[in-house]
Amino acid sequence: MSAPAILPARGFADRMTATFWRHPRVLLAILLTPPLLWLGVVYLGSLVALLWQSFYSIDEFSGVVKQEFTLKTYAELLRPSNFDILVRTVIMAAVVTLACAALAFPIAYYAARYAKGHWKAAFYLGVMLPLWSSYLVKVYAWKLILAKEGIIGWAAERTHSSWIIDGLLSIPGLEGSSLSTSPLGTFAVFVYIWLPYMILPMQAALERVPNSMLEASADLGATRGQTFRTVILPLALPGVIAGSIFTFSLTLGDYIIPQIIGNSANFIGMAVYQLQGTAGNIPLAAAFAVVPIAVMLVYLAIARRMGAFDAL
Amino acid sequence: MTAAVEFSNVSRHFGNVKAVDGVDLTIAEGSFFAMLGPSGSGKTTCLRLISGFEKPTGGAIRIFGEDVSNTPPHLRNVNTVFQDYALFPHMNVRDNVAYGLMVKGMGRSQRRAKADEMLALVKLGAYGDRKPAQLSGGQRQRVALARALVNEPRVLLLDEPLGALDLKLREAMQDELKALQKRLGLTFVFVTHDQHEALSMADSLAVFNEGRIAQIGSPQDIYDRPATRFVADFVGSSNVLPPDLTRALGGPAEWASLRPEATRLAASGPVSGRVTALRYLGSGTRVVIEAQGTEIAALVPAGQPVPAEGTTTAIAFDQGALHLMGAA
Repeated sequence: MSAPAILPARGFADRMTATFWRHPRVLLAILLTPPLLWLGVVYLGSLVALLWQSFYSIDEFSGVVKQEFTLKTYAELLRPSNFDILVRTVIMAAVVTLACAALAFPIAYYAARYAKGHWKAAFYLGVMLPLWSSYLVKVYAWKLILAKEGIIGWAAERTHSSWIIDGLLSIPGLEGSSLSTSPLGTFAVFVYIWLPYMILPMQAALERVPNSMLEASADLGATRGQTFRTVILPLALPGVIAGSIFTFSLTLGDYIIPQIIGNSANFIGMAVYQLQGTAGNIPLAAAFAVVPIAVMLVYLAIARRMGAFDAL
Repeated sequence: MTAAVEFSNVSRHFGNVKAVDGVDLTIAEGSFFAMLGPSGSGKTTCLRLISGFEKPTGGAIRIFGEDVSNTPPHLRNVNTVFQDYALFPHMNVRDNVAYGLMVKGMGRSQRRAKADEMLALVKLGAYGDRKPAQLSGGQRQRVALARALVNEPRVLLLDEPLGALDLKLREAMQDELKALQKRLGLTFVFVTHDQHEALSMADSLAVFNEGRIAQIGSPQDIYDRPATRFVADFVGSSNVLPPDLTRALGGPAEWASLRPEATRLAASGPVSGRVTALRYLGSGTRVVIEAQGTEIAALVPAGQPVPAEGTTTAIAFDQGALHLMGAA
């Protein structure tokens, strides 16, 4: 007696697996329907609603939203007081992104190229640990660190280097009574908070650059600097861009850090928060919210044109 | 004539692991030198010591008489064809080949012309604008070769360059590499674990075992007169005879090797055994006989009678074919 060529189905799971084998698309449909519903209806739907709102305007006397299509709200964005907010936010996001990239690269490079075993675990823990604690607690902790009586001020006083901080705080545009009330403080906290989002994609990208590629570059006569510019950077660029999308867009949208740290100058996020809340100007809030989306689209288009995704 | 590469008592230890241990080696200028050995035998580490990706923990390495112990890879006038080719995926084929010239500061039009020239030499003249990902394995291998040769190195290092190719392509590339080496008159140092490749391509070769050189010599030397059991085992399909069997066959009580081509089947003789396996090779049949617990292979040329499996036959051999060797 030999075994049958076709084994009997043992139950429901066997029959389901057989069904999926005969109709591969069924499984795909089951898997994709919930996320597509979420993405399509809740996510994209609210985005479209937002866009829609931004083309309405508010009646300046009654404060009622006029449901007519107009570009008047967008024109309002160009008013000096509003335009300042846009410029300030975009500059801050750009500077924060550059600083994050500069700080993240050595860490990511070390983790991707040298860290093994326990050191790799220590790296992941070190990078992720700050993400486990509350964002608000961290920001308030930084307020204390950066305050005049904080540890930085104390250390500067003890080492007679307070003049460095005073000097920085007297630079036009960065003025403040202490680091925690200066745009420098806002910048420092942004960099601290978003740094992990730059390190992780960068490390993933650098890990995909095989060692033999770096050796080949040296073998062909390239210095470390040439290898960095012509091999490492182009190959890691998709990771850098991915990281910069996080740091750039998170800074563009944040409204808590500039509220707690810095000189209370308005940022896009804060403007949106105030406009939709106390002011009740939903159309202008929506128009403000469209700006980061537009900026990111322009940024990605430039990155693409520069060949950032060629190595993907 | 100065040696192209010279190792004097070179070691490379990684902690307790002696990857390369006290190697002395001289590679003549213009020769095709193969480093043969199983994985972990130290052959690749030796290659990396020449290119500079490993630093010796002892001894001295000279390239054309110059001590390179303190010279980083980018200042050594040697180039490598990497095992995985290591082509830059974000550059097209022409820019890959021109890379070495670019980092040395050669102008764009000049280096592109040189790269195209070199691509033509490896028969890829029309592929300059493609990306490496659009090429086949054999084509990528040629690009890697062109990229190394365009720098006019004094020594070309090849790290298992044919390992990833299929058999037919590999044989074609072997002939081509050999021809290229002859034409350029360049010193090629070639790492491989494939004994046929090493024997058929090299002018001389070193057989590595556990970080040391087991034997160094011409392919004929190595194949006909293996110095140790390891070499006989690894290099050839040679039969390795223990001392008892050597004596039974009429030699002294020492380890010996006997090539299958020189092994004959006879009706009667001092040593006989049972035929355990037959393999038809076209040009003949390989017959394996088990005698006194040792398997002995004999090559029966086509046209001669082949014994059936399970039958008993005696073993004979050509005069002088028995080669005595050390036990190591």
